Amino acid sequence: MIGPSISIKGEVSGDEDLHIRGKVEGTINLNGNQVSVGDSGKVHADIRAKEVRIDGEVTGDISANELVVISKSGNVRGNIVAPRVTLEDGANFKGSIDMDPSAAATGAAPLSARQPANSPAADLKKPALDLKSG
Amino acid sequence: MTLLLDKPATQTSKLLPALFDHIDEERRLTVFHVGPALSDTVDFFANYRCRLHFIDLFSELPIVATEDTPTLHHQFEELLSIPAGTEFDICLFWDLFNFLDRKTTEAFLSVLRPHLTPDSLAHAFSVHNTSSPQCNHLYGISQLDTIRLGKRATAVPGYAPQNQSQLQETLDCFRFERSVLLPDSRLELLMQARL
Repeated sequence: MIGPSISIKGEVSGDEDLHIRGKVEGTINLNGNQVSVGDSGKVHADIRAKEVRIDGEVTGDISANELVVISKSGNVRGNIVAPRVTLEDGANFKGSIDMDPSAAATGAAPLSARQPANSPAADLKKPALDLKSG
Repeated sequence: MTLLLDKPATQTSKLLPALFDHIDEERRLTVFHVGPALSDTVDFFANYRCRLHFIDLFSELPIVATEDTPTLHHQFEELLSIPAGTEFDICLFWDLFNFLDRKTTEAFLSVLRPHLTPDSLAHAFSVHNTSSPQCNHLYGISQLDTIRLGKRATAVPGYAPQNQSQLQETLDCFRFERSVLLPDSRLELLMQARL
């Protein structure tokens, strides 16, 4: 755990779950583990983990192999890539959410399988439309 | 802006299902939602392979240009921050144009237009005539044909709705495909991009 009086600048990596109640600036890379940001936590970093739960503040991109949860006290500014994302009512979110339920079903890591954030969708099959006025 | 979600209600939508009539589940759906992200909407789209862009412009209102501020176009460029190459399949404009005057709407569209394709669809709530009272709803999709209504804790400033014909003229990059008259002279609109 990173306690409320602790402030870290740089890269945080390792092989165990992490609970953040203090400040972290930089990058957090815990690919196979869970990262949680407590009510008092303030993170200005990209986060990469298996699961991420946000009760505090995060500015940065979040990628999770399984799940991201933003609780009602959570405040996130950034882009999220995860098979499943849960946003509780009252949560404050600005950015984009990239989800893939099939990746959730297979447990596949989403990042390598997905098209880049800025990739045009022009080559994708377009739906036809037959709408009536009225 | 504080959100109040204690007493959610629902509203059946006749037009919302049309947005999903021709969805190819093999492709990624790209959605542009102008408003706060609500749990229902995220839960609903969790069934799709998708990318949701949430921009809560309501919390930025009023958007004005003065001698001391950047142009409206530049303000929208910064506020929307749409990544280059993004093309939206679905745009959700719930009540947005009730709070943007014609000039501001045009600036908004000038930033959005490059991210539309001829197949882009939009769903909106607007008004049939300008005497329609301001409502302070928050919207989310709870089911394919059901909108969840929440209530904002504070009113959004700058309510200045355009009537249906004015709005149709202003939204020159969209064609109104269908409209449904709702209580209080409100309108539900289904639009397709006209580029």
